[in-house]
Amino acid sequence: MTAAIATTALTKRYGDRLALDSMDLAVEEGSIFGFLGANGAGKTTTLRLLTGMARPTAGSVRVLGQDVASEGNPVRAEIGFLPDVPAFYDWMTADEFLRFAGRLFTMKGSLLRARIDMLLDLAGLRGTTARIGEYSRGMKQRLGIAQALINAPRLLLLDEPTSALDPMGRRDVLDMVASLRGRTTVFFSTHILGDVERVCDTVAILDHGRIVAGGPIDELKNKYGKQKVVIQVTDDADGLAEDIRKRAWATSVTRGPQGSFEVAVTDVDAARREIPAMVASRKTGLVLMEAGEMDLEEVFVELIEGAKA
Amino acid sequence: MNGYLVFAAKEAKEILRTWRIWVLPAIVLFFSVSGPFLARYTPQIVGAVAGAQLGHLTLPPATYLDSYSGWIKNLSQITLFAIIIIYGGIVSSEVSNGTALLVLTKPLSRVAFVAVKVAVNSAFVAVLLGVGTLVTWAITAAIFGKAPSGPLWSGALVWLVLAIFYLALMTLLSVAIGSAAGAAGAGIGAFALLSVAGIWKPLSNYSPAGLAGHAATLAADTATSSVFWPVLTSLAGSVVLAGIAALAFRRKEL
Repeated sequence: MTAAIATTALTKRYGDRLALDSMDLAVEEGSIFGFLGANGAGKTTTLRLLTGMARPTAGSVRVLGQDVASEGNPVRAEIGFLPDVPAFYDWMTADEFLRFAGRLFTMKGSLLRARIDMLLDLAGLRGTTARIGEYSRGMKQRLGIAQALINAPRLLLLDEPTSALDPMGRRDVLDMVASLRGRTTVFFSTHILGDVERVCDTVAILDHGRIVAGGPIDELKNKYGKQKVVIQVTDDADGLAEDIRKRAWATSVTRGPQGSFEVAVTDVDAARREIPAMVASRKTGLVLMEAGEMDLEEVFVELIEGAKA
Repeated sequence: MNGYLVFAAKEAKEILRTWRIWVLPAIVLFFSVSGPFLARYTPQIVGAVAGAQLGHLTLPPATYLDSYSGWIKNLSQITLFAIIIIYGGIVSSEVSNGTALLVLTKPLSRVAFVAVKVAVNSAFVAVLLGVGTLVTWAITAAIFGKAPSGPLWSGALVWLVLAIFYLALMTLLSVAIGSAAGAAGAGIGAFALLSVAGIWKPLSNYSPAGLAGHAATLAADTATSSVFWPVLTSLAGSVVLAGIAALAFRRKEL
């Protein structure tokens, strides 16, 4: 399958600061790709390079098979982009801005009118006659998503699309992104892991300008996600935690409130067998013992903290 | 070409629907209306203020040429100053508030972005100049009973070339300097330098530095040298400045 986005050793330096460090990235056409990273990890820099708004210090970036810096308008005609904080001409209405954006893509007449009406409905802005300058941040964010879709893009680049939205708005945006599956490649940059888990097929985790992990979400969880056991006892939680820490199958023990702790394990069956006996030998009461898998958020934290260490 | 036209329409609407439609037109209209009256009554005002200090000196009665000269003088000083300040953010304001990012990630080239801004705002200044000059002309005719068009319009047209030159200069400065205030400051510096440079005859005769002086002498009907070279070099300079601005903007990271 063709790569909608392909970067090779992509590096961006601002003075002494290395914003992106030899980043190799491949986003398959038709996928919904989650680009995860903490604030300052290099997500927005990546998007600026992908849109041709900045030039790489080294390496290459190809978007839809073309060099966005040299191809210019032809490649931009197939992209939709939502910046992290979308800015509009405050004196325009939403309808006027969408018309302006559509006309830049050479759309006109009834096709453009129908597209504008559909997107205004999607953004919940149909019938709003106020100027954009009077909009709330959430309304601007929704309009930002609408304008990014005006040209029915082959590649939709979203930079933190849900960060300014209330829960309802966030749900609507995620539903909208999910509805594009298979029709448009979506590059979804965010630090909200729940959003990625909900809509993305594939993910890359960025830390300090480097991709620390990437691949299909399930594969990533299998590869990096350890299993865990959550335990709660009536007394002597510290002593029990100390006993567990000595076992070969326990990789880490994290204390929680009220006699609880979480154990990251390599062999959940061994943990299930041995922990009750250890609790009994300490003569304490077992309130809770629950085994499960780490979610993406925990994988993310493990990877980022692992990279720091 | 589509992008040029769409963006030009947006620029024109922005002028009509924001503060831009009030500030420069108000300045131009104020001087176009007040100038002829001020010219007509300046001898009386000076006489009344100076009183006996003038002794036996008597000021000559004002003519339509005084009105024309006043109009061009106001254009060359206050209006030009206003243009420098207003257009300090012609490009940088869109970059700093983020609208440029949203627009330039669509099929609109950066060259078109800059070229359209220069062209549309030059047209706006030309329209303002036309209306203002027409008003001055009509009021001058009403007050003085005589208002031949030649000196006024030739002076105004030469000033328009100067205004376009400054607009192109401000576009370049706005690309080069991120802040509107910084670009305006640099523009004022350039204005001061060109004003001083205009005193030197060779520069005055062959460069934009002489345009303000030439516009004034044309309006006063006292022109002694040709305006061909300063007009030509100013127009060429405007194209070069706008071209450099477009190229610099193309290389700029947003």
